Amino acid sequence: MRKKRWVPWVLVGPALIVVFATTIYPLLAAFYYSFQKYDLRKPPQFAVQLASEAGDPLISVDWSLLSLNNYARAFSDARFINSLNVTFWFTVISVVLSVVIGLLIAVVVQKSGLLQTLTKILLIFPFAVSPALKGYSWRYMLHEEYGIYDLLIDVLIVKPINLVIELINILPFVDITPVSESIVWLADKFWALFMLAMSETWGWAPLIALMFVGALGSIDTQIFEAARIDGANNWQIFWRVTLPLLRPVILIVTMLKTIFSLKMFDQVVTMTGGGPVRATQTINYYIHQVGFVRNLDIGYASALSYILVVILSVFAVLYVSKVLNRN
Amino acid sequence: MMTTTIADHRSKDLPMSRIRQDIGRVGETALLLLVIAFIMLPIYWLAMTSFKTPEKAYTTEIIFPPTLKNYEIIFSDGSVVVNEGTDRERGEVGRNMAPNVVNSVVVSGATVLIAIPLATIAAYAFSRYNFFGNRALLIWILTTQFIPAIVVAIPFFTLFRTVQFFGEPLLGTRWGLIIVNMSIVLPYAIWMIKGFVDALPGEIEQAAYVDGANDFQVLFFVSLPLIRPGILVASVFAFIMSWNEFLFALIIGREMRTMQVALMTTSGMRGVLWEQMAAAGMVVMVPIFFLALFIRKNVVEGLTMGAVK
Repeated sequence: MRKKRWVPWVLVGPALIVVFATTIYPLLAAFYYSFQKYDLRKPPQFAVQLASEAGDPLISVDWSLLSLNNYARAFSDARFINSLNVTFWFTVISVVLSVVIGLLIAVVVQKSGLLQTLTKILLIFPFAVSPALKGYSWRYMLHEEYGIYDLLIDVLIVKPINLVIELINILPFVDITPVSESIVWLADKFWALFMLAMSETWGWAPLIALMFVGALGSIDTQIFEAARIDGANNWQIFWRVTLPLLRPVILIVTMLKTIFSLKMFDQVVTMTGGGPVRATQTINYYIHQVGFVRNLDIGYASALSYILVVILSVFAVLYVSKVLNRN
Repeated sequence: MMTTTIADHRSKDLPMSRIRQDIGRVGETALLLLVIAFIMLPIYWLAMTSFKTPEKAYTTEIIFPPTLKNYEIIFSDGSVVVNEGTDRERGEVGRNMAPNVVNSVVVSGATVLIAIPLATIAAYAFSRYNFFGNRALLIWILTTQFIPAIVVAIPFFTLFRTVQFFGEPLLGTRWGLIIVNMSIVLPYAIWMIKGFVDALPGEIEQAAYVDGANDFQVLFFVSLPLIRPGILVASVFAFIMSWNEFLFALIIGREMRTMQVALMTTSGMRGVLWEQMAAAGMVVMVPIFFLALFIRKNVVEGLTMGAVK
């Protein structure tokens, strides 16, 4: 064995410098900014100053310029509280839909067959569509006048429901209001958030299905055969065999999707613009507004993004420890 | 004894079970077609819209005379008028997206060219050497994917406003964008390539050491050629990540728009010009389709950093 001790450091050194410079540096800098009054429209007054003239101490620190104001402000900022709410509901809806639909797709494509194989190949396509484009195309397809989704929802869901309601209304003393056929999806507070989550589900459910298919593929098929010989039907096999076997993978996928949902940004910009009336302003979107669009308040934006970091780190710690346990 | 009972059971209700099987098969096929429709409808609709005239783009018609005009418009320098007369006054003349395509290609290409060599040698060291901090550093690399991009963007935005590079601030340059892209691409690339090195049996390397090769000779002449397919997969994955990246492109790239941000420029008096957006969208997504198909088997493992196997 001739391996030398300094060799690995030479090999990992360059990559580590770049990784640290692009992750540790911004984390530290944003942390520092978050305690500062730092608005790009005004000359900054930093607590830590490098010497400007000879004779000054090399670094001077004015502790009085550091404060918790930005954090205090965050928790009395109705718009930030709103973004926490929006992000929470967006995460719940998109995670549940993505995992459930992903599971359904996985069960459907899992068997061998030509159509199944073709579908498995197609599953990769939504992943290839960039989030920004996803947002635009969904906004186009949901348009109340010329959107194909709007048309399909009307024909396949709203019209049949109204038909049933009409039939029920024939009965005496019953008068149910029919469902509106002219909902403007992205102008309605609930539906805008729901559709945003649907666009995310469209991108993720196929990918999650691929993860489940991979996990199912590594399960010995004899277990399914055995269940069938014992007289179990498809339904029973799914609930009693497939689902328990997939449980660890479902847990990991749910955590991963939760983390990605909490960081939601791209589609909000291209699909809803945060509207209607801030109903789809996620945390990330609001930070962007504070830091770069409406104000240029870097200090406050940093504090808000640190709150996001804290929320994410809870899930990150859970996820990483789970992954490390598996390996 | 056991086999006879199963056979008895089967022969008894053969016609019934056959009908049930047929129903099951039809149901399965219907479900598969539903899944295909769910996946492909937005893609198909976007592709179709990109060949529609502006009038047809504002309908749900699926039969229409196709036109390439939208592609011509998004790659022309303003000489092509969308609708003669009326729309010209509305400023709906062509916009040239060629520079945006160049930006996207250069930024993504350079990101890959810088990240992959660094990631490859680092991944090899992480896999093959037992050095102090090995595991801790790997955990950090795994954790970086949970850092929200906005936290990276804020300090680099303020830094790049002042830091000069060849006489101009880095903000709004391709270099600035390439640097921040490293924060998302490099950790994934290291983790992915490490997976390929881990899968390589160590005996070949041991034999090379016995033959008197030094560490670097083993790495560059023995191991690297063997993990070349893995490096290619990681490169494609890294390219897709930076090609589809939006937040950095918006905040750090600014006027140096990549295609993702340029999608937002297809708007005029009638809001987003859907037929042009669709054409630009095709330019954004079709190349990635081929790349994604190429690394299809590795996407899941790459995206989950090997958490789901």
